Amino acid sequence: MAWRVASDIGGTFTDVAYIGVDGTLSTAKVPSSPPHFGRAVVDGVSRMAEGAGLALSDMAEMVHGCTVATNAILEGKGARTALVTTQGFRDVLELRRIRVPRLYEPLYVKPAPLAPRNLRFEVSERMGADGIAVTPLDENHAREIAHSIARAGVEAVAVCLLHSYRNPEHERRVGEIMRTELPDLFITLSVDILPQMREYERTSTSVVNAYVGPPVRAYLGEMEADLRAAGCGGRISMMQSSGGIVDARTVKEKPAQIVECGPAAGVVGAAWLAKSLGLENIITFDMGGTTAKGSMIENGGLIFAEDYEVGDSMSTAGAIAGGGGYSLRLPVIDISEVGAGGGSYVWLDRGGAIKVGPQSAGAVPGPACYNAGGTRPTVTDANVVLGYLNQESLAGGTVPIDAKLSRDAIGGTIAAPLDLGLCEAAHGVHQVANATMVRAIKAVTTYRGRDPRDFALVAFGGNGGVHGPGIAQSLDIRRVIVPPAAGVFSAVGLLLAEKSVTLARAHSGDLMAVNRAEADAVFEALRQEAAGLLDVPATRVRCRLQAELRYVGQAFEITVDLNAGRFDDLDLGAFRARFNTEYAQRFGHSFGDAEPVEIVSLKLVATDPAHRPIDRLAQPSNPTPETVRQVWFGPRHGLHETRVIGRTALGAAPQQGPLIIEEYEGTTVVPPDARTWTDRNSNIVVELGQVS
Amino acid sequence: MSKTDPFLLEVLRYAFDTIAEEITLTIVRTAYSQIVRDSLDFSTALCDARGRTLAQGVCTPMHLGAFHDALRNMLAEVGGDVHPDDVFIMNDPYAAAGQHLPDIYVVQPIFFESVLRGWSATLAHHSDVGGIVAGSNALGAREIWQEGLRIPVLKLIDQGARNETLWKMIALNVRTPDMVMGDLQAQIAACAIGARGLVKLYERYGVDTLEQGMADLNAYALRLARAEISDIPDGTYRFTDHIDGIGDDPEPVILNVAVTIEGGHAVVDWTGSSDQIEGGINSTFPFTKACAYAAIRSLMQADVPNCHGFTEAIEVRAPEGSVVRPTSPGPCGARGITGYRMIDCLFGALAQAAPDRVTADGSGGSTLPTISGMHEGRMFVFCETAMGTWGASRANDGQEGVPHIGANQSNVPIEMIEQTYPLRIEHYGFEIDSGGAGRTRGGMALRREYRVLSDKALLNVRSDKRAFPPHGLDGGAPGKPSMNKILFGTSEAVLPVLLSEPVLLRKGEIFSHVMASGGGFGAAFERDPERVLQDVILEKVSIQGAARDYGVAIQRGDDEAYEINREETAALRANQNQHKGDLKCS
Repeated sequence: MAWRVASDIGGTFTDVAYIGVDGTLSTAKVPSSPPHFGRAVVDGVSRMAEGAGLALSDMAEMVHGCTVATNAILEGKGARTALVTTQGFRDVLELRRIRVPRLYEPLYVKPAPLAPRNLRFEVSERMGADGIAVTPLDENHAREIAHSIARAGVEAVAVCLLHSYRNPEHERRVGEIMRTELPDLFITLSVDILPQMREYERTSTSVVNAYVGPPVRAYLGEMEADLRAAGCGGRISMMQSSGGIVDARTVKEKPAQIVECGPAAGVVGAAWLAKSLGLENIITFDMGGTTAKGSMIENGGLIFAEDYEVGDSMSTAGAIAGGGGYSLRLPVIDISEVGAGGGSYVWLDRGGAIKVGPQSAGAVPGPACYNAGGTRPTVTDANVVLGYLNQESLAGGTVPIDAKLSRDAIGGTIAAPLDLGLCEAAHGVHQVANATMVRAIKAVTTYRGRDPRDFALVAFGGNGGVHGPGIAQSLDIRRVIVPPAAGVFSAVGLLLAEKSVTLARAHSGDLMAVNRAEADAVFEALRQEAAGLLDVPATRVRCRLQAELRYVGQAFEITVDLNAGRFDDLDLGAFRARFNTEYAQRFGHSFGDAEPVEIVSLKLVATDPAHRPIDRLAQPSNPTPETVRQVWFGPRHGLHETRVIGRTALGAAPQQGPLIIEEYEGTTVVPPDARTWTDRNSNIVVELGQVS
Repeated sequence: MSKTDPFLLEVLRYAFDTIAEEITLTIVRTAYSQIVRDSLDFSTALCDARGRTLAQGVCTPMHLGAFHDALRNMLAEVGGDVHPDDVFIMNDPYAAAGQHLPDIYVVQPIFFESVLRGWSATLAHHSDVGGIVAGSNALGAREIWQEGLRIPVLKLIDQGARNETLWKMIALNVRTPDMVMGDLQAQIAACAIGARGLVKLYERYGVDTLEQGMADLNAYALRLARAEISDIPDGTYRFTDHIDGIGDDPEPVILNVAVTIEGGHAVVDWTGSSDQIEGGINSTFPFTKACAYAAIRSLMQADVPNCHGFTEAIEVRAPEGSVVRPTSPGPCGARGITGYRMIDCLFGALAQAAPDRVTADGSGGSTLPTISGMHEGRMFVFCETAMGTWGASRANDGQEGVPHIGANQSNVPIEMIEQTYPLRIEHYGFEIDSGGAGRTRGGMALRREYRVLSDKALLNVRSDKRAFPPHGLDGGAPGKPSMNKILFGTSEAVLPVLLSEPVLLRKGEIFSHVMASGGGFGAAFERDPERVLQDVILEKVSIQGAARDYGVAIQRGDDEAYEINREETAALRANQNQHKGDLKCS
């Protein structure tokens, strides 16, 4: 029997997931094996397959998520990368957009450019803004540059010339020369990767792609060899930051597409979940050991970041200034992240305020209760003190803990200086952690003019169920859903994704006077390209057409669905009205039809309709003995003797809180004024009482 | 200690910050002018009923500390005439405690249970407000009436009804009415978003809890600021800096500061600075205060809340009638330059007290190149915030391609400029060998060149630091002076740093704008030769520059790669040591 499996590699663990034909989940969590990550994948898959009675040789597909591209950037271990650009502009990459991510920091140090100054070459040419050449391309000069690049020991080259989004002729010719002269190098043209205006963003995106190209290729090559050596057949697919999966071959050409693939998979899984429950609007909340992430599904669709930067230590989408990372303008699901997780340190500043993170105890030494040398209190220690987490061990008994060490740490560092009781202090820490994370969720909801109250919260990650209900309460959200295998939900999400790619091309003009035939020609070209990437005949690709629109004179675009198969069939009036509605929702006002609107670019989301993810999920039955422990639910509810049960024991009949649901992958905390049950897909549903 | 429990206080702080961020994002995304939407020359704040800031957007530090003065003045002006759905507007430095005429405040009162509870406040630098020069930054203005439209405290919207008279007045008095109207609309939208956010907090926490939280947040910020200031050794630290002066035969403008640190309190005294001048660089007192707050806040290492409370640890004094506290009708269109220089001057003084917390001097703030004219029958005004490079710190070389600490602003994409204006950018990059030499090196100078494609155009610019280049620290060399030129064919003409009136450019001519570079930190001949080698490899320093400025001999080896010639380096450095003392500069 042919089967599909998912593997998701993180810094510490590699998660493997498989969904049986009846929807039953099988998962495995094994330690990651850097730098030979494939070994852990083979190990995890083998274990899982053995447990599920599957033959490795029958494996038809592995869907993979990893951090190789992001880590190459974070650790500065990408390819030695050269940039070829227009005469006079080699420093555009390093000058960036000038602004810095933090105010009041005279000692701030910028991230180093991914292509150093001596490897940034200026070629004699100049294209005008109207697409007419001002200075012709000097091809001999381009060849000389290629020879310099060859001598410099470079592995990857990005080519980005001014105004190439308008007329790519010079850039393409330079690309041909580079490919001819440097056949072994990884070459990226900006027009292939991001044919859109704004030279820094386009250059940076191209350079990121070149920089991560060779390491991603090498990684995938080794992974494939490891799998083949272990007797695994089948293809390797990968998650992209846009939430669609594609064949790994495609990723080798545009590796920059996978930088946020791990977090994206979790959101995609949540989107699938929402659809299966008939929910149009959800907020996703993914809390692990070091960070918490938020995103939103609206009207069943994902949302995409407008100004994503890779490698920014704290990529809160709400950070207005940006500049902390490297601009990457590819379709990336808008996931806002804050440095608050179970391992985040809790501390008092000199003004007496409670702070959570961003420093984290990590896996080593870990929270104080791990008894591995860490004495500083963490969020997890506060949760242990409160009784939210097991008092003897975590992760289904695999990690023994000492709850007294948590009490000592919280007591000594927080409760004593503030002259508070231990539980009050721990609960305060829990609340401050929630406030930090609420900010991440607001960055993707209220910042977009959305009211969280209209949404349900899907909480996952190891700590999602511990903090999810409290966060929901502070956002006035009534319903929290904790999916099965919540701790490895990103791996599950990989199996629930569609096969799809998103492509865009600059195409500017007044909306009401747009040449429909030209627009359709662009869409046709995008469709052909997408078909190639998906390896599906163009006639079979399912396409969603979109355009990026803005008021003439503004710089901020909004993506609007055409809701039509061709531009020629488009009802312009209705299309324009949808733009007005979205604009008004975001910004509280709209110019209606009073101001002209222009198209900035055309976009196509192409999906392979033959690829259908499974339509139901079930947690295998796993009876665990019921226990009871004392749990503190804050000053309003106080201390409660609370039942601790497993997911299987919860059942479909609503039960009144307080209740703790403990599993191998995580814990869910149900407050006294909430009700909870499991639905037919084994999700834990928590319905909260009125807001405290 | 505060009455609000520390956990709730932290929760409220996040909530206020989030609202300020939302106000900011709304402006970024709905603004029309390049200077607001791309350069980000605007600021936002959420304030309490008395106009004290609770949180501010991550925008322009030198604007931020001035909101309180403007709102306090406004409250006194309007008395009780504040109603739901009012929106106020003002810009005048004298009648409205404003900053300069292009910076227009748009603020909205926030009501809850029919009581005034707070203010949503925005300030944006508008592309033009009339006056004798496009962009309204006339350096040569002799009094404020020449600088453009003066707006006292007025209602732009009166209980929901637009003040059409005022809108029409504004539209007719500015060169770029579409942009100004669009940006005002963006400010109004942003204010509404802020108001919605604060009302929600009142609904959630109730009046008593929330207002106690506001008071406690300010008290906490003050406590933290005092603790941070007490880390600076007590004493009085003095520094004198200069603005080159205006026009062809400039007279230097003196900025003289004494910073006294005593027991967690800072007094910034500008006595001894030049009298106010008949030129548009006078800095109004609210702005002078804001710049002092920004500079001292920058030395603090704790995450001090960006609210009114921390400013109470800082007292600012300045003589009336001086360039840092002008009286009416002193012009102040280009007062930004004085603000940037005040911060530079304060860092010069504070370097004596806390040398590890500041850098040597940098390129200064935005030079605001403004190019305007008629093209294809339409008026155009191009204006951008051009920045910048920093001096070296003890640990690191000066950062290159960064904003001044006073204003976190951005460049404008070249492709966007060329698509919108009859201009072509011919060059944008670093100048080799320009960084002030030092044990750590000052940042390289930036050059940006603009070619005019319309038949003719007017250029205005407010650069500086040619006669008085950026200072080094601890024996580091100063930065290289700035330079502005017009290039036509093979000839060129040098422009003054601060133009007393705009210069006419003709089609094809190029404005070549070179900013000053950053100063060095420590003696250059003590720089690690490996770092000099790296600079040569990265083409930041030439082989000649390495020998001349650092006493490091670099050569190309057999494989063409650069390498250090140790022997020659030792000789160069020994020779230099004999003349030590000649080179001390700061």
